[in-house]
Amino acid sequence: MKNSIPDFLLQKHSSVGNIHFSSNARHAYLDKGLAYISHVLKTGHEQIEFANKDGFFQRLSPQTKLLFLLFFIIIVSVKRDIISELIIAVFILGLIVISRLNIVGLYKRVLILGFIFGFLVALPSSLNIFNHGMIMFSIVNLSSPYKIWRIPIPENIGVTRDGILIIVMLTLRVINSLAISFLVLYTTAFEDIIKALKMFKVPDAILITITLSYKYIFIFVKTVEDMYLAKKSRMIAYQNAEIRDWIVNRFAFLFRKTQKKYEDVFKAMSSRGFLSDIKLYSTQGLNKIDWFSGIIFLFIGVIVVWI
Amino acid sequence: MDIDNSIIRIENVSYFYYDKITALVDISMDVKEGDLFAIIGANGCGKSTLLHIMDGLLYPSTGNVYFKGKKISKDSLKDKDFLRYFRERVGYVFQDSDTQLFCPTVLDELLYGPLQLGINKDVSLQRAHEIMDMLDIGQLEHRQSYMLSDGEKKKVAIGSILTINPEVLLFDEPTNGLDPRTQAFVFDLILTLHDVKKTIVIATHDLSFVNELNAMVAVFSEEHRIIKMGNAEEILKDEALLLKANLIHEHKHYHGNKLHSHLHSHYLFHKHDY
Repeated sequence: MKNSIPDFLLQKHSSVGNIHFSSNARHAYLDKGLAYISHVLKTGHEQIEFANKDGFFQRLSPQTKLLFLLFFIIIVSVKRDIISELIIAVFILGLIVISRLNIVGLYKRVLILGFIFGFLVALPSSLNIFNHGMIMFSIVNLSSPYKIWRIPIPENIGVTRDGILIIVMLTLRVINSLAISFLVLYTTAFEDIIKALKMFKVPDAILITITLSYKYIFIFVKTVEDMYLAKKSRMIAYQNAEIRDWIVNRFAFLFRKTQKKYEDVFKAMSSRGFLSDIKLYSTQGLNKIDWFSGIIFLFIGVIVVWI
Repeated sequence: MDIDNSIIRIENVSYFYYDKITALVDISMDVKEGDLFAIIGANGCGKSTLLHIMDGLLYPSTGNVYFKGKKISKDSLKDKDFLRYFRERVGYVFQDSDTQLFCPTVLDELLYGPLQLGINKDVSLQRAHEIMDMLDIGQLEHRQSYMLSDGEKKKVAIGSILTINPEVLLFDEPTNGLDPRTQAFVFDLILTLHDVKKTIVIATHDLSFVNELNAMVAVFSEEHRIIKMGNAEEILKDEALLLKANLIHEHKHYHGNKLHSHLHSHYLFHKHDY
């Protein structure tokens, strides 16, 4: 092969052109992409770690946890007073503490999502345009009231007492629902959640689809990470148009790869006897701690509903 | 540690994926100019991670990496002049060619590196054609990479690095999943590149490959540490070491009609008492 080695490969150093680079290398989009990928994978690992910790909720069976989830989400949704929502919030915080979860990390997510989907979504309802009532503080004074389509706009627009209560209520509901969901998700291994869902008669086809999708997320993310690294290993500078081309090209590649993967998975399922019915192994029954905890949860739930 | 002619120097490097999963523990080694260096170890021992760190794609959690005496770090690679200096001297052939090939056609793939480095278009094109001739892939010039066979993809992936003309070539499992003819081609190519004074670092668990290359070898344990370094001959005759590193094993197989088991490597150790 040596005879066909090009001369340039025999040179000690690369001959380079006259382009002079003076500024810092722009790799922000690659580094951000890699950081995000790491974050996704890290979150997955954290979930596995928390689910394997020796905490109170981790000892419960997945069926108990799912029943708890359903029961308390319903209570959170039907209660219409702030005191009950606050009691539930304190109760959930207590469960999170004795389950040895990362309180700061968990509540950071809960509060961000609660702010977006609770506070911000409900914010317009605080105005007297949508909820009549006593104005707590005024925002705008118009020269006269008028209508936009059929909505009457009052002369004095402001935040009402009822509106504030609605915002607090909705935000607390969202925060409580999220905290309950995260508590269950963080303390239950993914496969246990699937098996518990099977106990509740969720169709196997849905469960296998969820399982495959969940597993593929990690394969997919690893592939994307490798692509980013491969790009980084040969990149010095870039132009935006080139990056757009690369991203489009990689979309197409991932689509093909995904298509190939699901075809392979289907073949693998077929080769192991898959016809059309999906049969999953179901989980074990409840033990003493499940019954005991279940009764406590039921008792607390009834009290909260009653007050 | 002698660093006079060291081209890549690894100093007490440890790496943890996502701050949680251990990949490398206290790795120190020196790759000298013109070395043919093999990193061997079982799956998941950290070989690929070390190559990523050598190529400045990942940065050590602790410890330092130097290229020709200059530290490779996130900050140093933000300097475009240094980044260019580094990238034109170190090329990385990924294990999965699919992830490496991202340009529309094979020709674009071969041109990507030199154009990135500011080499003018005519020279880049000449390089691409010379490399295609050398790798015998001229007929693939206008083909899209996803339409190629695995062997062709590997050749294009290697070609896309060679057009940069790096001094150091990092190969991650270069013969993995290839047919015997392409494996032999890659083997010959690596020896040829070494013969023209390129520094080669290969991560592999293919002992026959290491034996034939007669490389300097670093053996990784499953605890992500280097457990021994030496020349291939010395390393490959140490059965206890290879067994500890999970590179040889005992399993059942037939000889004629006789089924038996003993320490076994498909390439090196196949010793019988009879």
